[in-house]
Amino acid sequence: MRKVLSGHGASRGSALGRARVRLPHALDVAEETIPAEQVEAEIARLHAAIDVVRAEMGLLRERLQGALAKEIGEFLDLHALLLDDPELLEGLDELIRANFYSADYALRLQRDRIAAVFTHMDDAYLRTRIDDIDQVIGRIHAALHRRDAAVHGIAGEILVADNVAPSELPQLQAQGVLAVVTSAGSALSHSAILARSLHLPLVVGATWALQKINDGDVLAVDGSTGLVVRDPDADDLRTHRARVREGKRERRQLNRLRREPSRTLDGADIKLWANAESPEDVAEAHALGAAGVGLYRTEFLFLGRRELPDEEMQFQAYRNLVLGMTGRTVTIRTLDLGADKADNTGLVLPDEPNPALGVRGVRLSLRRQAVFETQLRAIVRASGYGPVRVLVPMVSSREEVLAVREQLDRTIAALRAEGHAIAEHIPLGAMIEVPAAAIALPGFIDTVDFLSVGTNDLVQYLLAADRNNEALGDLYTPLHPALVRLLGDVIATASAHGKPIAVCGEMAGDPAFVPLLLALGLGEFSLHPATLLEVRQAVRACDLSRLRSRAETLRHAYDRASIEAWLREATCPDNPAARVPSHG
Amino acid sequence: MLERTLPVTNRLGLHARATAKLVQLLSGFRSSATLSARGREVNAKSIMGVMLLAAGQGAEVILRVDGEDEVAAAEAVAALFARKFDEES
Repeated sequence: MRKVLSGHGASRGSALGRARVRLPHALDVAEETIPAEQVEAEIARLHAAIDVVRAEMGLLRERLQGALAKEIGEFLDLHALLLDDPELLEGLDELIRANFYSADYALRLQRDRIAAVFTHMDDAYLRTRIDDIDQVIGRIHAALHRRDAAVHGIAGEILVADNVAPSELPQLQAQGVLAVVTSAGSALSHSAILARSLHLPLVVGATWALQKINDGDVLAVDGSTGLVVRDPDADDLRTHRARVREGKRERRQLNRLRREPSRTLDGADIKLWANAESPEDVAEAHALGAAGVGLYRTEFLFLGRRELPDEEMQFQAYRNLVLGMTGRTVTIRTLDLGADKADNTGLVLPDEPNPALGVRGVRLSLRRQAVFETQLRAIVRASGYGPVRVLVPMVSSREEVLAVREQLDRTIAALRAEGHAIAEHIPLGAMIEVPAAAIALPGFIDTVDFLSVGTNDLVQYLLAADRNNEALGDLYTPLHPALVRLLGDVIATASAHGKPIAVCGEMAGDPAFVPLLLALGLGEFSLHPATLLEVRQAVRACDLSRLRSRAETLRHAYDRASIEAWLREATCPDNPAARVPSHG
Repeated sequence: MLERTLPVTNRLGLHARATAKLVQLLSGFRSSATLSARGREVNAKSIMGVMLLAAGQGAEVILRVDGEDEVAAAEAVAALFARKFDEES
């Protein structure tokens, strides 16, 4: 029966698909027994559910195409194998037959039995494979509670859950999830930011979703209005199709902005740089009219190899980047790796108890002079082909910048002596992501030519909140008064000294934060090309002088709610891209 | 019955994907198969069983196959181990 649920639209886009319900305590089932004469029927019910899940996973598998197909396919194959696993299945039948347990309780016991073995494994990677088993058991559990057990023709799935963790979203999307509906959550949560950057429709705060939606129900979801329709009728389907057309029209409108300037209503030009590594991203950045590349992460040259990339190989990559941007400036960030990622590279690093606070970024470069020297030589040589800037990650002190500058100067002199044609001037910049660097900035700003604020790490380090720790919930947020103040101070210091400053974290790529960053005085954003046009659209809807006049209120906001209220009030109502959904 | 001792030499050990490949490979044979290590023996046609064996890199596992096509099955498994499960191609 048709039912409309109303939540908050957190990431735009419409989707039509089958609900995949994830109950928060799906595996927390109380002991439950059934009468002896129902045992065989219960086993049949369980196997019917397993058959449904198997058939649906098969459908998902068939739908996979393109580059992801191989990787995700392997992942789905793993789940399919688990579903047919003799150890999992035979154990279940036995539990029901011998103890008269319900299928639900048998699933739970079986899961706990397996989990007990997994949690005692020495190997951290294998230990986390319990997640795969939980996903499979969760699917069977949900399928047991469908209103009908038919295999559904609509292969697209809409995840319905109490909440969703940021780290899950890319994987969910890759598995073919078309949209996500959560009963809790906020439109400014880290998950919502990520959903917007992935263009994955998301509705949050749909309070009764878990009570009113059953696994397998057909849903029409609108990530703009926050409306979720269960069992949509002909009218709803018409509305959905109109929404999809509207979405396409909006995309076309956005595409018209390719050739337009990133200029506010009152005529201020904002610089939009691209974060780009792959040749596709670089080409896209160029086509979208990005000011240049604001962040080129060199890690990918190192990851997944057994030997360190030599000077020639790095030089080729940097030169291709420079040539690809045809005269627009490219910003190459020196290696930003720590012990947590290094086992995947040619670097051999000792294990660290806390790699986020360990030898990473510039700390590593300054300890591995030869590796750093090779990289600097390759970057400096590429500067002969177009404007290049060098950006140094994880800076926390003046001494580090000076040490890098010294080495860079030596490298430039050496290459000149060797007869290489290189740029007259290669600007050196520091990432501001360690709170100490942000606070001590006035003391070393004379040593840098430009700055780039990495908000992802700055938020994490400033709030002492690991962005990937799901248990912390919304503690990881850029909407903390400490971050807003610090960001305002850093931008003001840079402006006072005439040093260009950009923000290059996720925050910069989200249209919802554009008014806030402009109010704090930011004139440069560096973001992935995927959301560049949306951010340009948001910039073009802003009145900079109006925002600047409200900056003091923002800087004195004392909690998250007041920052959100400021954003709602500051956001231009006629700008759909930057609309911050209100909370009921 | 055939028995072979196989070293696990791929970088990640018998992790999920490698295990999936092993189980998929064995499902094409009629013979029954087990793997054992550190005193545990599991059904080598069960992905969960093999993962529960938790054989990391450098471990040695003992493969036992029993059935009409045991020779071919043992050869195929040994080749998969030797190819490091194709993960570093």
